[in-house]
Amino acid sequence: MDKKYKVQVTDLHKSYGNNEVLKGISLNVLPNEVVCMIGPSGSGKSTFLRCLNRLEEPDSGSVYVDGYDIADKRTNIDLVRQNIGMVFQHFNLFPNMTVKQNITLAPIQLKKMTKEEADEAALKYLEMVGLKDKADVNPTTLSGGQKQRVAIARALAMNPDVMLFDEPTSALDPEMVGDVLEVMQDLAKQGMTMIVVTHEMGFAKQVADRVIFFHDGVIREQGTPEEIFDHPQHPDTKSFLDKVLNA
Amino acid sequence: MKHWLKRGLTSLAVVAGVVLGVMVIGSESAHAEKTYTIGTVDTFEPFEIQDKNGTYNGKNPGIEIEMLREIAKHEGFKYNLKIMSFNATLTALEAGQIDANMGGMSVTDERKAKIDFTKSYYTDGVVMAVPEKSKITKLSQLKGKTVDVKSGTASAIYANSVKKKYGFKVKYFNTSNTMWNDVMNGNAAATFDDGPVLQYGIRNGIKLKIVTKEINSTPVAMGIKKGQNQELLNKLNDGITWLKETGRMQKIIDKYTKGDAAKSQTETDRSIWGLIKSNRDALLSGLGETLLLTVVGAALALLFGVILGVMGISNGKILSSISSVIIYIFRGMPMIVLAFFIYIGMPSVIGHKIPLFTAGILTLMLDEGAYVGATVKGGFQAVDRGQWEAARSLGLPYYRALVKVIMPQGIKIMVPSLVNQLIITLKDTSILSAIGVMELTQTGTVIIARNMEGFKMWLIIGGIYIIIITLLTWLSNYVQRKMA
Repeated sequence: MDKKYKVQVTDLHKSYGNNEVLKGISLNVLPNEVVCMIGPSGSGKSTFLRCLNRLEEPDSGSVYVDGYDIADKRTNIDLVRQNIGMVFQHFNLFPNMTVKQNITLAPIQLKKMTKEEADEAALKYLEMVGLKDKADVNPTTLSGGQKQRVAIARALAMNPDVMLFDEPTSALDPEMVGDVLEVMQDLAKQGMTMIVVTHEMGFAKQVADRVIFFHDGVIREQGTPEEIFDHPQHPDTKSFLDKVLNA
Repeated sequence: MKHWLKRGLTSLAVVAGVVLGVMVIGSESAHAEKTYTIGTVDTFEPFEIQDKNGTYNGKNPGIEIEMLREIAKHEGFKYNLKIMSFNATLTALEAGQIDANMGGMSVTDERKAKIDFTKSYYTDGVVMAVPEKSKITKLSQLKGKTVDVKSGTASAIYANSVKKKYGFKVKYFNTSNTMWNDVMNGNAAATFDDGPVLQYGIRNGIKLKIVTKEINSTPVAMGIKKGQNQELLNKLNDGITWLKETGRMQKIIDKYTKGDAAKSQTETDRSIWGLIKSNRDALLSGLGETLLLTVVGAALALLFGVILGVMGISNGKILSSISSVIIYIFRGMPMIVLAFFIYIGMPSVIGHKIPLFTAGILTLMLDEGAYVGATVKGGFQAVDRGQWEAARSLGLPYYRALVKVIMPQGIKIMVPSLVNQLIITLKDTSILSAIGVMELTQTGTVIIARNMEGFKMWLIIGGIYIIIITLLTWLSNYVQRKMA
């Protein structure tokens, strides 16, 4: 394990039955780096992301986040997860709580903050995502874009070192996408280490330090946004970009 | 996963603890000095005659009860009466649930193998009775017909010994009254029953006629589990001898066969309202028992069910399999079988009697708990997987995520089913009448055995259930509206 990396993955394999979804992925992410993962559906990028906080258990290979070996069953995963924020495609807000309670639940339960501190932090993050006035409503009353911004605030409230985004805008109406991407862009500017699975090529181009093209369970190609979008080398990359950019 | 296993086993241990606790608390009263538990039957005139509250505390409780009273006084011991079906007294005696049994019991060779009989105090014979308008007068006319008997009685033994010869079928009942009504209603051609009992019933309005002489006269005596309680046997024998020598025994028998107690103490007002009024105390106490069983049973079933449900959704294969098997077994077993198994079967295995109420509660807890378990499991599973992932990825440990995020959402999904289960639990308490729990249904059986008002009494009992269930439904609708 190399300490200079925030995330260090070596030869990661994952299968569902006979279907090998990840065929030996290695990837290192530096602190403050924003990595966007693109690729066709079923290429393994979401599964890879979910292996980073052990929502999926890797079959083999090693995954270090913040120096902790995620793949090791002896690692207290609950503790490591506190430092890894995750944002889901379908938001997964808790419908049995208000927006503010969604955000303060984990900090209070895990004794990271007192109730007062957590409330204050919740309002701070809600302000950051532009939803301070929604603190006391039930999340089911919000629009998709608002829900996703609350979900980001919820993840940030734990003060994570790394943020994982699993297709955060895929379930949104087109007019909502901009608000969410804007929040993510702000976050990137503040120096958050981010790994983003996305279909938003514009976002990847503009915000990513590095773009990774997944195809058929392997990383086919990676590089700066210019390298990937303007000068793709691999035929699979070219054909994928052709399809999504000229659709 | 190891984590899981530990917690799961802890929860199992808690359930086991609760169950054992209930058993021990419930059984403490069974150890008092020189108090014997005597099993006997619902009204079996003239041997046993319940008063209008369903007890044997009245002035004319029947030959055997009055005899037992005098013997207990003379020999200096106390006794508790346990009222159940005659057949259940035999199994309870064998299981050690009771110290002695009585109920106009004939002394037979078959029974002698398992029972020490006291001296006999009466001679009893089997007679055949038919509906008043029936033309049957001889056993030979029974070919292809049905004869009703009470299971486990001398009449049943006799019926079985001759059924091939005369070509009739035998149908079994637990109480005389239900059986006589079956014959009166024409569902069977005849009944075999004890002569004096039938005579008493006919004198009190049963529309049957006796068409044979007493067959198979046998002595009647009390029973004690073979070789288990010489002390009680001696006391009873000594008492019976004393009663006979002093002429008291004959006096008691005359009182019920010839004297003023030969007519049962029946209500004067036989309207529905009159029946409710005269049986008010018995009905209220039966209803109270039903409600108590429902509340305690449902609460324990909920606890047991939640544990089963939580085990059921665990990632650990062992825990979820244990949960599935428990749910499968108790859902698959008829509740009445479970009740018999716990109350009558278990004591002979654990060597310790299980008090009636405890047995009833255990039955409800296991049976209803299995259904609750399936509901809870389903409710938790119905919560979107993403809720788990979001909670866990924030760093919440499994149980914290379960309690704070999954449970509140799951409970909302399961409330309608749980309310439904509560109503079913209330109705299911009636099944416990089979082991003699004096809840509302058993209260009805006892009252009817005395006043013969089957139609009106069951109408009253049914009405009470409907009223309670309606109230319960209103309450649950209110709660559900509040939760929504």
